[in-house]
Amino acid sequence: MRQLADLVPTHVLNFESYVPSRPDDVLMRQYGVERLYRLNNNENALGPPPAAQEVLAAFPPERGAVYPSGDCFFLRQALSDAFGKAPDRFLVGNGSCEVITSVIKAFCQPGDNIVTADKTFAVYEWVAAFSGIEPRLVPLKDYALDPQAMLAAMTGRTKVVFVCNPNNPTGSWWSRDTLERFLRAVGGRAIVVLDEAYREFVDDPDFPDGMEVMERHPNVLVFRTFSKMYGLAALRVGYLCGGLEAVDIVRRTHLVYSVNSLGQLAAKAALEDDGTHAAATRRMVAQAGEYLKSVFDSLGLEHVSGAGNFIMARVPIPDTLLYRLLMKQGVMIRTMTGFRFPNWIRVTLAREPAMEAFAKALRSSLDKR
Amino acid sequence: MDTILSLTTPPDVAFARVLTTAAEALAQSRGLGKRESMRFQLAVEEFFTYLAQVAHEDCAIQTVLTGKPYQVCASLQFQASGLCLGALNASCTTSLDGAGEAANDLGLILAGRVADRFRLTRDGESSFTLHAEVDKAYPAAKAPPSTVTFKPPYRAGLEHDPNRLMHAAALAAARYPAWHCPASFQTPGKFADLVRAGQFTCVLALDEASHPAGLLCWARSGEKGLSFSGPFVFAPQEDAPQVARMLADAFLATVAREKIEIVFSERATQDTPDGYFETLGTLTRYDEAGQSEQPVLYRHLREDMGETVWADPALEGFLRGVYDRLAMCRDVLAAQPFGASGPSERKSSLFSTTMDKGKGLAVLRPLLDGEDMAANLAGHVRVLSDKGFLNILLYMDLSQAWEASLAGPVMDAGFKPRLVLPFAGRSDVAVFQYAPAR
Repeated sequence: MRQLADLVPTHVLNFESYVPSRPDDVLMRQYGVERLYRLNNNENALGPPPAAQEVLAAFPPERGAVYPSGDCFFLRQALSDAFGKAPDRFLVGNGSCEVITSVIKAFCQPGDNIVTADKTFAVYEWVAAFSGIEPRLVPLKDYALDPQAMLAAMTGRTKVVFVCNPNNPTGSWWSRDTLERFLRAVGGRAIVVLDEAYREFVDDPDFPDGMEVMERHPNVLVFRTFSKMYGLAALRVGYLCGGLEAVDIVRRTHLVYSVNSLGQLAAKAALEDDGTHAAATRRMVAQAGEYLKSVFDSLGLEHVSGAGNFIMARVPIPDTLLYRLLMKQGVMIRTMTGFRFPNWIRVTLAREPAMEAFAKALRSSLDKR
Repeated sequence: MDTILSLTTPPDVAFARVLTTAAEALAQSRGLGKRESMRFQLAVEEFFTYLAQVAHEDCAIQTVLTGKPYQVCASLQFQASGLCLGALNASCTTSLDGAGEAANDLGLILAGRVADRFRLTRDGESSFTLHAEVDKAYPAAKAPPSTVTFKPPYRAGLEHDPNRLMHAAALAAARYPAWHCPASFQTPGKFADLVRAGQFTCVLALDEASHPAGLLCWARSGEKGLSFSGPFVFAPQEDAPQVARMLADAFLATVAREKIEIVFSERATQDTPDGYFETLGTLTRYDEAGQSEQPVLYRHLREDMGETVWADPALEGFLRGVYDRLAMCRDVLAAQPFGASGPSERKSSLFSTTMDKGKGLAVLRPLLDGEDMAANLAGHVRVLSDKGFLNILLYMDLSQAWEASLAGPVMDAGFKPRLVLPFAGRSDVAVFQYAPAR
């Protein structure tokens, strides 16, 4: 009999599967703590907007037996209304991870490559790698994506360029001019994905709006999510928007029925929020950001904080050791070695008690070393 | 690319000649010298002949011969009950006069001695694979060229060029004590072949003119770990910290998304930059000049998911202390002390022994337990000490209850638990060191 491994393509055999964090109660038992502040996944501590919360509370249990709308009909209609674009220009996925997969499947075949940064959201690289597509990774420059180097990395087989704007985990972002120059230089040779998962946290007028940019560049696809600003991470709803032709191509590889009914309803309600929730979240994030910057400054720690609800800091011990020391005190952060930033941590900006718990645990951990 | 010959034969000595012919052809095709080729043939012949006598009659022996650029290897998979390979112990002192009961083991003793190293893996209750390796011989390092004037800026990245690698290995061997260097630095050609074969991976720091300014290399260790050596820095003292940091950054960035959990080093140099690794503890380095403490460094690459380990009562307190100090969550299961569940199923225990003469270092790993555990350990210590090995370590994989249960006899034999290498085996590995009487 053949070995099971003989049936597996080399690029899958060599791929390291991602191991997510264990559930909170398991972690609390392992680390012997009674409460755990999750500051590792950039979740919104304020939760979903009130309208979405009402929808969640009112969901009739018997609807659990009924399939969701396979193509998120009403949610796409709501997105259409919100952005003034045809519903067929939107594709909704089970989080942005699913739409990343759909785009790579739609445009890439063996021998092709994608271009992105070496220190950015890892899923672009992962999906390409386990699909047998070469990820070409470009180093950051001053903690930001380097447009010239990304252009230089493109080849005749580059099909998709992923631009995380703002970039996770550094929070850096390209201005309107930078993006425009980049898109002109690409000149339609590849699909350019603008991943705007954290764009709702930016209120700078110089931040480019992908929804507007795509009207001048038909090769642009914009990704957004309900997980971050809208606090619906548990329900996994993300979407892409682009020109009709591009979206029609991606739709061919995109699974239907992957977004559940509750997620569709909550996301639609969140879209209809009057902006109060986003404003409150921005206030919380700004306050937490100032507080943590002062904590890092007082400890003499270098930190990077651009847009987004997170901050990144360089620590004087291995980030993975600090993770364990903080976990022993009930605080969970994201280690950055996996982002190729050894000895850096990323901390979600959240409410005061969580930020104070983090600061106290950080001081205590570093004092002992 | 490796050359692989696979032969499935009955456990019948009549087939030994087929195997030795294949072994000879393989060794020649890989450019091994006559002496190494003969050793390989002999190891294959004697192992097969012995196993043909002890393996289940109705089960075939599968022999896989692998030729790599730097070595040839034989892996013999077989089925046997009550397997006893005591004669393979480095401590075996049976007289080689061919008389009496010991004569049955002569072939096995010979095979163990002519191979550069061997190991046994247990694939099931009565299914085993015996691996024996013979290395290609390489010329020793020549004295590296005299001082180079380095020109910053420096850069660091993966290196594959064999000439540059050989040069850097020779520089490291000349500037750093043997304790810190992989043995292959003494024969840089072998080091370059190991890199070519993927056994080692290297990052090299280069100056503006592409002179090697530093080296850090690593090899896989166990299923989840990488063991690194270095950083070796050749740049002037004032640039050394910068070069060392570049090497550490390039190393960690390279391996950050690989299929491993940890990196560690039992021989990291004093040039290791602060803050990149945790200190697990120290090992004592004994040599003619005396003794010194050598830190053992480690770091996770991702968040700790916890682990389950077995612990003998004799070791439990030590383990819990280590895990508490390292803030690691572990479920510690109680292993029955050795002998508590009655006599062992076999008379002779077995340890694999890896020796590095340059470092005066011998490493023991338990392969099979047996009634003679205490005597066998004492024998190993005596024989290795007589041969001049002042540094004797024993590695115990705590994922195996039977292995963990050996802690009592190991400590009774004069070994002290020094540290734990997290995830270095199937789970954590306890490292014991023999403390010689001074």
